[in-house]
Amino acid sequence: MIRFVDYSFCYEGMKEDALKKINLEIRDGEFVLLTGRSGCGKSTVLRSINGLIPHFYPGQINGELLYGDISLLKTEPSAMAGIVGTVFQDPRSQFFMTDTTRELAFGCENMGWNRDEIIDRVEKAVNDLELADFLGRSIFSLSSGEKQQIAIGSVYAMTPRVYIFDEPSANLDFEATKRLTHILKRLKDGGNTVIVADHRFYYLRDILDTAIYMEEGKISEKYTKDQFCSLDRNMRIQMGLRPVYPEREKTDFAVLEDHHISDNERKIFKVEEISFGYVKKEKILNNVTFEASTGDVIGVIGHNGAGKTTLISVLSGILKENSGQICFDGKKLTRSKRRKLSYLVMQDADYQLFAASVDEELTLGVSDPNKAYIEDILQRLALIEYRDRHPASLSGGQKQRVTIGVSLVKNSKILYFDEPTSGLDLDSMERVSKQIKELSGNGAIIFLVSHDLEFIAGTCNKILSLDSGDDGHMTDISEELLVKYEREYYQQY
Amino acid sequence: MSDKSVKDKITQVSFHGSARLDPRLKLIMLITLGCTSFFINGDVPELLLMLGVTVFICAGSAPGWGIRMLVIYIVISYLNTCLKYIPIPVVSLLMGIFGVTIIKAIPVISFGRWVMKSTYMDELAVALERAGLPRSVIIPFVVMFRYIPTLGIEYRMIRNTMKIRGVCDSFIKIFFHPFSTIEYILIPLLMRCLKVSDELAASGTTRGMERSNRRYSILEVGFGVGEYLAIVIMVLFVVTLFVLERTSIGQYVLWRQI
Repeated sequence: MIRFVDYSFCYEGMKEDALKKINLEIRDGEFVLLTGRSGCGKSTVLRSINGLIPHFYPGQINGELLYGDISLLKTEPSAMAGIVGTVFQDPRSQFFMTDTTRELAFGCENMGWNRDEIIDRVEKAVNDLELADFLGRSIFSLSSGEKQQIAIGSVYAMTPRVYIFDEPSANLDFEATKRLTHILKRLKDGGNTVIVADHRFYYLRDILDTAIYMEEGKISEKYTKDQFCSLDRNMRIQMGLRPVYPEREKTDFAVLEDHHISDNERKIFKVEEISFGYVKKEKILNNVTFEASTGDVIGVIGHNGAGKTTLISVLSGILKENSGQICFDGKKLTRSKRRKLSYLVMQDADYQLFAASVDEELTLGVSDPNKAYIEDILQRLALIEYRDRHPASLSGGQKQRVTIGVSLVKNSKILYFDEPTSGLDLDSMERVSKQIKELSGNGAIIFLVSHDLEFIAGTCNKILSLDSGDDGHMTDISEELLVKYEREYYQQY
Repeated sequence: MSDKSVKDKITQVSFHGSARLDPRLKLIMLITLGCTSFFINGDVPELLLMLGVTVFICAGSAPGWGIRMLVIYIVISYLNTCLKYIPIPVVSLLMGIFGVTIIKAIPVISFGRWVMKSTYMDELAVALERAGLPRSVIIPFVVMFRYIPTLGIEYRMIRNTMKIRGVCDSFIKIFFHPFSTIEYILIPLLMRCLKVSDELAASGTTRGMERSNRRYSILEVGFGVGEYLAIVIMVLFVVTLFVLERTSIGQYVLWRQI
């Protein structure tokens, strides 16, 4: 039993408490969902349980935190390692070893168990979590979902009693999310306590026991599974939460009236028979053909590995196509011309911020910056007060707005967004959606690569699917199309 | 072909033979190799050293790599020799120094990369722990190995975003603004490093990275018959090379003077 008793925590250097006198009891074997807006304190709760607070994240603690009879505040994270297992959000930055087998054994080796015990435990993890195909491989050759499975396996081999997951679905496609649900169910059936903090929780709707809604460091509401799954829609939106049954939320998907694209709009961007493969024999993109008009917002969907990122890399001019051609406004585009016209907003903004201040960032690479225009952009994106700050000191959402600002300065005709809403709560997702619609209103053609079907349904007017069978076929968004994808993504849970 | 049991898959190795030596010994050999390569002079002893390294690597499941590096060595050695016969004032001297440095570095690079590929990180960490190194040294060492391939991936992503931005995307721009180019690559790289190292540290801490108990790796680590034999051979080999190079008997053997 985990008990928070009047527990408060304030991160070092912050003025306000991240957690304000929370009282919470988590029974053994319970499956708990922690949710709420960004910054509500979910991660702080998780860090308190696994010992990272205060030993890794120093700060001021008040109150008590107990696991059974032991006070967790007096326990080092090293001692907690065998009791509480944590799986973090980004699968790429969790692994220590380059080989999958070694990574599975990493935790066990740290615990000091002997060779035979380590091999037995890794064997059990491999068998229980169906990881046999991943043994002995380089971690770099795995997809995000597969990396996460190894991360879970590494923790599983240590046989903790409590499992903690911090936004596990953020980087996963719908297939990997289904596998995650399967694994979580297994953990629950094993009698373990499981605590998941996430903004998206449709994949947990059948296995959770309790849902806890947090707001500004306090626990606002505690729901049973049935109560949470039948939350009134208006209430849910007020709380800033995504739907539990996204496939049932028909009205959220009504986008057609938002788009004022007339059929007379010229098909200005023509992509013909584009093929690409890193290796000659293995083609990732096969004769992709479509046309787009100014103002189109195109959702690029498909499972991981279908070639979504490869496609936008080719279209934006980062990669050279093996065959086919790309035309804009009647003119054929070479790679460098494509680069001049395009802008790519990556999932991780850190890759694209180079300057020492936001102001400098917006003028970088521009030969003759229009000062007034830049002022206007800063105003529109609510960045005016941050103009002299170093981009690295901004929050994730602010960094994303800076990169959007750059695209405006560059006046790119074609914009590509790679997973812009991964890890975002409902309000932030809607803000990004609004910004993108504004950009399309200015005449840009926008491609959105995303697993977030709700986001795509609310923002796009066309869908380009790269799954086999669709193979680069572009269709207008419609109710029937959405129902088809919803069935794939959200049902069978 | 029979399906391997899970246990077999866990304990399987991709590099056999000399690759199965204790990681501490491999590191000692690497250091010895570096020193030997640096101090030894003369075409024939250097070539013999390279041959020795190649044989060792080929016995360690990496014949492709070993032979490729040997061929590169021979080609550069040949070019170096040719250079002696084509005197161009300053350039010859510079190329000569460059050439000698490369020649001395090739055996070390060859052996070093093989050590990195053929050694499992957990074995290395356990071996270093047995050697008495503190965790505060071992952990950064292990992380460094795991991060080097990642650096390549991160660098490429940054270069891609730079190209899209039109920042230092052509050779001319890079040539005229070398420091800006380095700055624009380094800043995002450092930001990513900070983020990744933070998350990595958190992940490691929650899995007991800081614990001070004795650790065991999946495969055995320790000094046995194979290791002592390898030490003996290595010592004999190095001594022979120095004898060949420096003594008169050596020179006689090499047909330099009678």
